[in-house]
Amino acid sequence: MTEDQPRDDHEAQPDGGHTHRSLTEGATTTSTLREFFTRDHLPPMESVQRWLLTTNHKDVGILYLVTSLFFLVFGGVLALLMRIELLTPVNSVLSATGYNQTVSIHGLIMIFWFLSPFAFGFANYVVPLQIGAKDLAFPRLNALSYWLYLFSGVLLGISFFQGGSFEGGWTMYAPLNVPSYMPNIGSTTTVLALLLFVISVTMSSVNFLTTLHRMRAKGLTLLRMPLFTWSILLTVWMMLFAFAALLAALLILSSDRILGTTYFTAEGTPGSLLWTHLFWFFGHPEVYIVFFPALGAMAETFQTFTGRRLVGRKWFILAMLLVALQSFLVWMHHMFLTSINLEIKTLFMATTIGISLPFDLMVFSLIYTMVKGRIRFTTPFLFTFGGLLVFIIGGITGVFLGAVVLDYQLRGTYWVVAHFHYVMVAGVTALIGALFYWYPKITGRMYNRRLGKATFGLFFVGFNLLYFPMFIAWETPRRVFDYPAGLTPWHQLATIGGFMLGVAFLLVIWNCYWSLWHGEKVEGNPWEYATTAEWAVPSPPPLENFPGVPSYDSGSLDFLDETPEASTDGGTAVAGDQTHESGDHHDSHASPWPFFIGVAALVFFLGLSGISTGGIYPALTIVGVVFGAVSLLGFGMESFSVTEPELGERWPFEGIENGKLGVWIFLASDVVLFGAFIGSYVFLRVGYGWTDWQLVPHDPIPGLINTYILLTSSFCIVLALVAAEKNSRWGLIAGLSTTLLLGVGFLVNKGIEWVELFHEGIWLSSNVQASTFFLTTGLHALHVILGLLILLFLIPRAINGAYLDDERPVEYFGLYWHFVDIVWLFLFPLFYII
Amino acid sequence: MSVTYGLTTRVATVNSHHIELLLQANGRTMNDVFSMLFGVFLILGTAVGIVVISYMVYNAYKYRETPDSEVAERERPQLGELPQGSGGGKKLAISLTISAVIVIALIAWAYIVLVDVEAGAPESEDPLEVQVEGIQFSWQYEYPNGHTTNTLRVPEDRPVTLILTSGDVFHTFGIPAYDLKADAIPGQTTETWFRPNETGTYEAQCFELCGSGHSAMESDVIVMEQEEFDQWYAETGSETNATTNNTTDGSATNNSTANDSTATTTENRLLDGPAPERQLAATTRQ
Amino acid sequence: MTSTKLYTVIYVVLFGFATAQVALEFMGLSYAVAVAGILLLSVIKAVLVAGYYQHLLYEPRSVTYVMISGLLTAIALTFAASYSIT
Repeated sequence: MTEDQPRDDHEAQPDGGHTHRSLTEGATTTSTLREFFTRDHLPPMESVQRWLLTTNHKDVGILYLVTSLFFLVFGGVLALLMRIELLTPVNSVLSATGYNQTVSIHGLIMIFWFLSPFAFGFANYVVPLQIGAKDLAFPRLNALSYWLYLFSGVLLGISFFQGGSFEGGWTMYAPLNVPSYMPNIGSTTTVLALLLFVISVTMSSVNFLTTLHRMRAKGLTLLRMPLFTWSILLTVWMMLFAFAALLAALLILSSDRILGTTYFTAEGTPGSLLWTHLFWFFGHPEVYIVFFPALGAMAETFQTFTGRRLVGRKWFILAMLLVALQSFLVWMHHMFLTSINLEIKTLFMATTIGISLPFDLMVFSLIYTMVKGRIRFTTPFLFTFGGLLVFIIGGITGVFLGAVVLDYQLRGTYWVVAHFHYVMVAGVTALIGALFYWYPKITGRMYNRRLGKATFGLFFVGFNLLYFPMFIAWETPRRVFDYPAGLTPWHQLATIGGFMLGVAFLLVIWNCYWSLWHGEKVEGNPWEYATTAEWAVPSPPPLENFPGVPSYDSGSLDFLDETPEASTDGGTAVAGDQTHESGDHHDSHASPWPFFIGVAALVFFLGLSGISTGGIYPALTIVGVVFGAVSLLGFGMESFSVTEPELGERWPFEGIENGKLGVWIFLASDVVLFGAFIGSYVFLRVGYGWTDWQLVPHDPIPGLINTYILLTSSFCIVLALVAAEKNSRWGLIAGLSTTLLLGVGFLVNKGIEWVELFHEGIWLSSNVQASTFFLTTGLHALHVILGLLILLFLIPRAINGAYLDDERPVEYFGLYWHFVDIVWLFLFPLFYII
Repeated sequence: MSVTYGLTTRVATVNSHHIELLLQANGRTMNDVFSMLFGVFLILGTAVGIVVISYMVYNAYKYRETPDSEVAERERPQLGELPQGSGGGKKLAISLTISAVIVIALIAWAYIVLVDVEAGAPESEDPLEVQVEGIQFSWQYEYPNGHTTNTLRVPEDRPVTLILTSGDVFHTFGIPAYDLKADAIPGQTTETWFRPNETGTYEAQCFELCGSGHSAMESDVIVMEQEEFDQWYAETGSETNATTNNTTDGSATNNSTANDSTATTTENRLLDGPAPERQLAATTRQ
Repeated sequence: MTSTKLYTVIYVVLFGFATAQVALEFMGLSYAVAVAGILLLSVIKAVLVAGYYQHLLYEPRSVTYVMISGLLTAIALTFAASYSIT
C-alpha cells in the first residue's frame, strides 16, 4: 500500500516534523486525498492532516490533553452557572430542569470527559517513554480510543439540542432515568454518549495493559517501574473491570430506553436497587481511577523537586495495589440508606475503613520524602504540594462518611459535595502540576514561571474559598437550588471562590498557549534530580522516542544499538544518534481509519438515540452502520506495521505475544460484562422470589439444539486452526466455513424461537422475566453476529491463501468464538432449565 | 423555625448530655447520636488535620532550597537510574499504626452506636407508626387509622417510626432538624425512627434528585403536644374514609394500608408493586 | 493427530454433558440437587473449552489468573448484591 507515498518529502525528517518546521512547509498542500489514505509517514505538526492521521502515542497524548482541557472549560462553565444560581437562596437564574441538567452534565463531563482523559493524556505521552517503548502495543487502537472519546463528547454536546440533556444527576438513579420519567431524546443521547466513552476506555485499557506488561525495557522489572507508570498500571487494571460493569449498566439502560425492556421499572423487583448496585460497583473504583494518576504525578514531582527518592517506595506501591483490589469491595457504602441489610452494611463499613488506611500510608510517605530534601518551589511542585494538602482534608472528611450513622445524616448534603470535591479537585490540582512538570518535555519550551506561581496562588485560594464554605454550610441539600436563607453568606463566598478558580484555570491554559511561542527553549531535562527516562531524551522527543534500544540491564539507563549483540557502552542520557532510523523495516505512524470509525460511531449513536421517534434518526443509524462497516473493513485491510521489542521485561506475560494477550485481556473485561448481566438476572430473580420466577422459553429443546450447534462450531474452529498449522488451505477454509454456517444456524434457530414467543405475545417489555431473557441472550446473539462478521472477513482472505504461514488471526478469532460458546454454556441452563 | 445551622452550633451542642449518652444503653435518638458522633469526629478530625498539615508545611519550609543549602550533602537521585526508594519504613509504619488506631477506634465506636440505632424505636414506649410515600414531588403520610395527609403531625416526646417507600422514582426523605434520613425506593421499604422533643414546625425534604420538582419537594413536620395531637388524631379517625382524598392532591391512593403497619423489622420487604393508577399519575404529572 | 483425537474426545464429552443437563431436569431430583448438578456440568464444560480449545492450559498461568480475576469480580457483584436484599 506504499507505492505512491511521497517519500522525498519526508525522508529528511524522521522525527515526524517536531523540529524542522521550515523544511516541510508546503508539503501538505501538495498531498492529495489518495495520499491521505495511503501514506504511512506523518505530515508535520502544523498540518491538520497530521492530527487526523496520527497514531503516535505522543500526538495522541497531546490530543487527549487539549480535548480534555476543552471539556474542563465546558464543565467549568456549567459549574459557574450553578454557583450563580446559588448566590441567592431562591430560584433566580435557571429553570428547574435547566438546573438539574447543569448539575448532571457538570458531573458527567468533569468525571468522564475531563478528569480521566486529562490523566490519560499524560499516560499516553509519558508512560511509553518511562518504560522504554517506542509506542503503545496497538497504536491504531490508541488513536481509535481517542476519536471515540472525542466523538462521545461531541454526542454529549448534541444532547442539549434534543429537547434538553440528561437531568437525573451523574449517578443517573433509576427509575428516574427511564423514558416514562425522562422522555426527551437528549437523555438517551447522554446515555449513549457515555456508552461510547466506555467503549473507548475499554480499548484503552486493553492497549495500556498489553503495553505495560510486555514492552518494558530490559532491567525495568514491574517493581522497578516509575511511580507514575505504576499508578497508570493499576488505574487501567481497575478500568478494565469497573468500566465493564458500567458498560452492562449502560447497555441495560439503553435497552430500557430504546427497546423498552423493564429492568429498572418492573413491578415486584428491586430494579431501582439494581441500578445502584451496578452503578456503584463501577462508581467506587472510578474514584481511584481518576485519583491514582494524580497520586503518581505527586510521587514523581515530590521526588524531583525535593531531590529525595520516595520514602517507603515499596510500601507505597503495595498500598496502591491494596486500594486497587479493595476498590471492588466497597461499593455499598454509597447505599447505606437503602434497604440493604445490616450485615452487609457492616461488612462494607469495615472494607471502607480498610481502604482509607493505605491512603494514610501514601500521604505520610509523600510528606516524609520532603524531610532532608532540597525543596524547590517550582510551579509543578506548588500544585502537587497544594493538591496533597487539600487531599488530606478530603480524606479526613471522608472518614465521617464511613461511619454509617453519620452517613445517614450527611448523605445528600453539601458535606458530600465538599468532601468529594476536596478529593477530586485535589486530583485535578496535582494533574495541573503534572501539566507544568511535563510541559517543557511536550513542547520543548518552558512555561512562564512567574505567571505559573501567581496562578497557583489564585488557584489555591479560589479552591478553598469555593469548597470549604460547603463544609460549613453542609446542611444545604445537594442538587437543589433553594436552601435555608441562613446559609446564604457561605454560598456567596463559594461563588466568589468558584470564579477565582475558574480564572485560575483559564490562566493555566493561557500560560500553556502563550509559552508555546514565547517560552524559553528547553533542550532535554530542565529539572535537576529528575530520574525517569522521558528526561533522558530531547524535548520534544523524536518520533520513535529513543536514540537506541533503552535498557536498564547495567543498573541504569543505556541506549543500545539496534542489534542486541553489538551493544555499546553508550553511557547514560542524551548521547546517541538522534536521526537514527530503524534498520530495514520501519513502523507505521499514520492511519485514517480510526478517525473515520469515530465519525461513523457518532452518526450511528446519534441515529440510535431517536430511532423510535422516526424522522431522520433511522436514516442516520443506517448511514452510521454502512460507514462504520466500510471504515472497519479499511482498518482491517490496511497494512500497518508495528514491531514488538526483541528484548525487554514481560513479566508475568512472557511466552505469549502482544496480540493474543490483548485478546485475552479484552475477554476478561467481557467476562465482567456478561457477569454483570447474569448478576442482574440473579439479583432480580432473588428479589422476585427465586422459585416463583417463570422461565420464558417453554421447553429447553431449542436451547439444547443451540448448545449442540455452538459446541460443534467451537470444534470446527479448533479443526480449522489445526489445518492452518498443517498448511492445509482447504482444511482451514472448510473449518471456517462450517463455523460460519453453524453460527448462522444458531441465529436462525434463535430467530424461530423468538418469533414463536412474539406470536404468543411475549416480547421484550412483557415482564421482567422476558426482559432479562431477551436482553441477555440478545447480547450473546450480538456477540455471535460480530463473530460471523469477522468470519466473513477471514474466509475470503483464507481462500486467497492467507493464514497458512501466520495462523494467529484464526487463533485469536477462535479465542473469541470459544468464549462466546462458554457464555452460552451458562446462559442455557440459567434461562432454559433452572 | 427553631433550626440552627452551621458547624459552630453543631460543635457547641456537644455537652455533658452527650457524655451521658455515651454510657447509656438505649433510648438514644438519631438526633442525640448524630450530634455526639459528629462533634467528636469533628474535633478529632480537625486536630489530626491541623497536626498533619502543619507538619507538612513545616517540613516544606524547613527543607526549602536556600543559597547555602549543601548540594552534595547527601546522595541525590540521578537521571536514568532505576527507580528506587529511600528508607524510612519504620517511621512510616509508626505513622500508619497511629492513624489506623484512631480511625478504627472511631469507627468501632460508631458501629456500636449504629447497632443501637438500627434496633429501632423502643417498643416499650409505643412508637407511632407512619407510612411515608414519596411521590413526585410531595410526601404522603399515612397513619394507622388510614388517614392520609401531606403534613406530618407527630406528638412530642413519643418515638415515631417511619416506614418509607416510593410511588415512582428514587427519593430520600429527611428532616434535617432531627438528623433523620432514609431512602424511599420504589418496590422496597426502609424504616427509620425519631423522637420529636420540641413542639414546632419543621421541614421534611427530598435529598435525592428526583426530577424537575426536586428542589421544592418539601413538607411540613408539625410536632404537637400530646393532648393536641390526640385531639387531632381522633378527628381524623372519624372522617377517615370519607374525606382523606381531599387532603391530598388526588394521586395518592391508600391501597397498602393495613398489612404494612405490622412490619417493624429492618429487613426490606417487597411491596406488591405500585398500583397501576399510581404510576399513571406519576407519569402524567411531568 | 493426537491433538485432533483429544479435541474430538472433548467434543463428545461436551455433547454428552449438554444432553445430561436437560436429562437432569426431567429426572425428578429435588430442585436444589438438580440446580447444583446442572451448574456443575456447565462449569466442567467451560473448563474443558477454556483449557483445551482455548489452549489456556498451555499458555502462561498468568493469563488464567487474569480470567479468574474477571470471574471473581463478576461473582463478587452477583453474590454481594443478591445477599444485600435477603
